[in-house]
Amino acid sequence: MSAAVIEATGLTKTFPMPAGPVTALRNVSFSVSPDEYVAVSGPSGCGKSTLLHLLGSVDTATSGTLLFDGRDISTLPDAERSRIRLTQIGFVFQRFYLLPMLTAWENVELPQGEAGVSKPERRARTAELLDYVGLSQRAQHRPSQLSGGEMQRVAIARALANSPRLLLADEPTGELDQSTGEQIAELLDRVHADGNAIVVVTHDPAIAARAKRQLKMRDGEIVAGAPA
Amino acid sequence: MNSFHFAWRSLFRQPVRAALAIAGVAAIGALLFDMLLLSQGMLISFRDLLDDGGFDIRILATPSTPISGPRMADAAATAAAVEALPEVDAVVPMRIGQARIVGPDSVNLSLIGAVTSRRDAWTVVEGVDLDDLIGNDDPPMVINRNIAEELTLAPGGTVTIRSECTERYSVLPTVDFVVSGIAEFPFDPVTQMTAAVAMPDFDRACGSVMDEADVFLVATRAGEYPEMAVAAIQRLRPDLHAYSNDQLVDRFQQVGFSYFRQISTVLATITLFFAFLLISVLLTVSVNQRFAEIAALRALGFSRRRIAGDLLWESILMVGTGGLLALPLGLVLAIWLDRILKAMPGIPSDLHFFVLYPAAVILHVALLAAAGALAAAYPVFLASKLPMASTLRNEVVG
Repeated sequence: MSAAVIEATGLTKTFPMPAGPVTALRNVSFSVSPDEYVAVSGPSGCGKSTLLHLLGSVDTATSGTLLFDGRDISTLPDAERSRIRLTQIGFVFQRFYLLPMLTAWENVELPQGEAGVSKPERRARTAELLDYVGLSQRAQHRPSQLSGGEMQRVAIARALANSPRLLLADEPTGELDQSTGEQIAELLDRVHADGNAIVVVTHDPAIAARAKRQLKMRDGEIVAGAPA
Repeated sequence: MNSFHFAWRSLFRQPVRAALAIAGVAAIGALLFDMLLLSQGMLISFRDLLDDGGFDIRILATPSTPISGPRMADAAATAAAVEALPEVDAVVPMRIGQARIVGPDSVNLSLIGAVTSRRDAWTVVEGVDLDDLIGNDDPPMVINRNIAEELTLAPGGTVTIRSECTERYSVLPTVDFVVSGIAEFPFDPVTQMTAAVAMPDFDRACGSVMDEADVFLVATRAGEYPEMAVAAIQRLRPDLHAYSNDQLVDRFQQVGFSYFRQISTVLATITLFFAFLLISVLLTVSVNQRFAEIAALRALGFSRRRIAGDLLWESILMVGTGGLLALPLGLVLAIWLDRILKAMPGIPSDLHFFVLYPAAVILHVALLAAAGALAAAYPVFLASKLPMASTLRNEVVG
């Protein structure tokens, strides 16, 4: 196995609540190698999304370390973590979060512009990605003119825009019907096959089954699938 | 897509809401602009009115305004002495009294008596001036347009007046005048009836030679500073009170116009506060509606600075567009309000309450920009400190 793209050791996340602190993640350790496709599943409230947010540097752990490419990102200033999210990590959300005032093309182009990619390169990459997800004909459509499945495909193209080393997907089929969900799952398979590391959080056993490695969580802990 | 472009698209994603927001800023901005015009308008207009008369110093017997105070005696000798000063070019002694045009259409008027050999305190717009009417038995008189229209008078017509310029005689004899011309008097209110005659004719109408003056209008010699001439006059006649136009404006600023300044300052402050509240509420509501979107952008790697920049640009666009629209809107409103205020009795028709001056535009832009920046501070803080994970989690759960 090649060096891990991300490596979590003893991650714990506790949320302060009026009734007392709630521990959403307890001492979780695992790593993801560059060619892995990992599915994290478990009942609601078991800490799946919390884990994904920590892996994506969207949130910080109460304790434990998180290495991205061997670098502890939990201690980095916000601007640097933003830069890593922008250029190294792709996010796919359950609710897509495409910007409604932008076209599919602009949504995919936006993170590239923020990363400082030149205009000709952005054009080429955006065209390539929309073609990749099968939406070249819908490039000038706004999210409101797209179906749920199409929106999620645009969201996946956006997540891949800056060629991230890790793709994180939080319930990517949660808002879709079964048939459309399968199409998204197939797209994620293809993304993985093309050499991207993926961590997907899902309730759907069918989606989880497509992953090479499945982690099962309960009460904030990984109860199955984590490597030693 | 840079912050400006992004902010533009964000603002106009809901065109009706954006239009209403900009209209709101434009309306408040117009009021603010008008308050700025009002704060200095009367002073600027008063200054113009003084300057346009061609005289830059007024000499009075007391610090009170002309007519209301005592008159100056030995007017002819005083005028000659002042005119002899090297800083002074011309002196016009002036009397102001009340009179009545006798006849079937009786009209009360302000009667001005002036020594007119050097300069006039009025502008003849039709006919000729007092000194230019030659070969007539009756003394000449210039009347303003209101009298001409009221009595259907034109140059060459005659009027009979009975003066009320002194308490010495209960009833003065009437005097006939021939109208030499129609003139504009700079301080005439809209409905004012004013006529002017030469000083000897004024004395004649008043029944005796009084050699008094209510005010001396003084023109400084070219190249001399009015303040130097004022100092020379004060040295010559310390018992009199000489004021340059600047000094008169300062004096009126402290006394007569301070109410307008105070009112306009208070209203401008309130208006600015409303602008701040409006922009702040609009941006805060907009940010609240976009919490998930902003959290997603942050999760995708957009920095806090970028998010703050987007919102600042959104505020600038809203305030900038509204502020620009506020200028013509404010000008139209100012013209309308000026007409209403000028209808008050006793206001010179050439005096304006709202006057456009460059500093008002600059101040308007600066104040609105400051209000926009301050108003954006809280929504920017909200957006840049937004906890990404909990916002995304709450959106999904909610």
